[in-house]
Amino acid sequence: MGTISLEHSDRLYWLGRYTERFFTTLKALGNLYDSMLEEKHGYQDYLDCFGLADTYSDSREFIRSFLFDMQNPNSAAYSLERAYDNGIVLREEISTSSLSFLQMAKDTLSKARQSDNIRMSLLPLEDTLYSFWGCINEHIFDDEIRNIIYIGKTVERLDLYIRLKYPFAQVEKEFIRLCKNLNRVPKGTPYRYSTKYLSTLVEILGTESNYQNESLQATAALAHLFEPAEVSL
Amino acid sequence: MVQFQERQFMQAVGNAGEINELLRRYGVKFGIYKNGVFHEQFFPFDPIPRVISAVDFASIEKGLVQRVNALNEFLFDIYHEKHIVHDGVIPEDFIYISKGYLAECEGITPKNKIYSHISGIDLVQAKDGEWYILEDNLRIPSGASYPLIARELTRIAAPQAFKENKIVDNRGYAELLKETMEYANCGGIRAILTPGRYNAAYFEHSYLAELTGSVLVQNDELFVEDNILYHRTYSGGKTRIGVLYRRISDEYLDPLTFLPESLIGIPNLMEAYRSGNVGIVNAPGNGVADDKGIYYFVPKMIKYYLGEEPILKNAPTYLPFYEEDRQYVMDKLEKLVIKDVSEAGGYGVVFGSDLTKDKLEGFRKTIAAEPRRFIAQEVIDFLDLPIVDNGETVMRKADLRAFVLSGEKTKVWASGLTRFSRNPDSFVVNSSQGGGFKDTWVLSR
Repeated sequence: MGTISLEHSDRLYWLGRYTERFFTTLKALGNLYDSMLEEKHGYQDYLDCFGLADTYSDSREFIRSFLFDMQNPNSAAYSLERAYDNGIVLREEISTSSLSFLQMAKDTLSKARQSDNIRMSLLPLEDTLYSFWGCINEHIFDDEIRNIIYIGKTVERLDLYIRLKYPFAQVEKEFIRLCKNLNRVPKGTPYRYSTKYLSTLVEILGTESNYQNESLQATAALAHLFEPAEVSL
Repeated sequence: MVQFQERQFMQAVGNAGEINELLRRYGVKFGIYKNGVFHEQFFPFDPIPRVISAVDFASIEKGLVQRVNALNEFLFDIYHEKHIVHDGVIPEDFIYISKGYLAECEGITPKNKIYSHISGIDLVQAKDGEWYILEDNLRIPSGASYPLIARELTRIAAPQAFKENKIVDNRGYAELLKETMEYANCGGIRAILTPGRYNAAYFEHSYLAELTGSVLVQNDELFVEDNILYHRTYSGGKTRIGVLYRRISDEYLDPLTFLPESLIGIPNLMEAYRSGNVGIVNAPGNGVADDKGIYYFVPKMIKYYLGEEPILKNAPTYLPFYEEDRQYVMDKLEKLVIKDVSEAGGYGVVFGSDLTKDKLEGFRKTIAAEPRRFIAQEVIDFLDLPIVDNGETVMRKADLRAFVLSGEKTKVWASGLTRFSRNPDSFVVNSSQGGGFKDTWVLSR
């Protein structure tokens, strides 16, 4: 097609972010649910990662809210709905097939809400999401379009991994992936990074000790990465 | 009437749930506003297809090509010399009072003189097998995407039916549309203009953009500079648009020409169009030709412009505008269907048989006061089609929207949108009023 509007570039970026937010939230909640079986951990740690207050009567209420509550902007359901909202206006760019996997994910999540074994009923979502990404890879011919989605995806993943205190090795891997994607961005576009904030990220995520001590600054730098004030050319 | 093999139908029927599930998965939806709130609904699909024999289709095809060619001639004439009015074939009242007539389009000649590139012609088949034209839709007829995607899915769900019958493959619609758009292209990329996600036909806009490789755009991504239409790119550049398949109504297209309050239009688009720098599909101003009042005159147009006898019949129609017809309408009102010419989408349609004595009397007075506002038609005894309703096969009213595409040649898509009423007592098949749809099989033998 060779022509992308600002509106669509924004949608592509947020499609990547929300789809990844949905996926990582699901995985994180799955791990948390598992560790709560023997009460090794409570859900308070999870809330702390996002600076959220505990307003839940028990872990069941917490899990249900973070999985299914559309009013909770941190829930998996909310992220999936936003991913779909962005995807539905990008059909001609991402393809009907790719979009269908988001619809399937919505249907699976909706059915899981009624299930006695939520974790089991959420399992197919992993396949669905991998298929979605496979479809994106397969159907999008324009590298620029694909790259914007992947930038959104890696920014989101990195942000969540840092907040959820994932091991340095995983964070480092995602940061390298992000840098590779950023290098593919053509000059003069909104997804050309700010050199100032990229340098901050390089410094913090360059060593494990900096990562351990300055993760808050890393998420702040990530939030400013595409600020138009200082765009590299 | 074509005979089907029961077994193949039952295979399709048996898979109705699966097909609807697939349609759901692929997001085959339409939007509807109820009490000011937007709802997205899945368009109910019935697996029993409408089947049209090759012989029947050949005759329909010939009739539709003839009709659309005449309508395109009429549009050129009306926005130029108006011979048909001067020669007394159509009274000028019917032209200038029509809401669809746009004085702003006077003198504009679109590329290759084609105004209606995509025509949606609604037909019904009577019980005696005769096909009648119910309505011409020459502005922004919608619906082709539904049978298109349904066919893709029914071929998966009921392969045997396609193996054992000789059914014309309808999946070339996108190629046909692309060809048609290219023929109207004045130099640049192809774009489909949508009012946005909350439009009733948004699925169609985005699906056709995907299939034709066009850019799906909204007005704020477009601008006109030196009478050329451009797409504003995210890197601050611009790409010229050569043809715009617009899916918004004429009056909202350009706030500097039509409604100034339009927030979904493109300022100066009409100047770019008038200068011949962009093709608009379909051309603005086509509403004058698909006005329900003008419908009455289409057979006369065919004779006037083409010197041919119309192949397809109109439903018997009366114009209260003419004294003789008005008297007939007043006398037989309870047996006729009355249509308000300014309404669309199944609205403004009243069956005389549904009215009480008082209401009939009231309606007679309204018609007498505003005779130009209405047409009256004999109620055609439609051929009912079978549909599956809660596992039972029942008969329901159905129509057929045929799509005629005018490019280098005028071609009829060998398929169409068969819409049916889910209400056993209703003739209204529109999706906005709860109707469903079927695939339309055209047999190659």
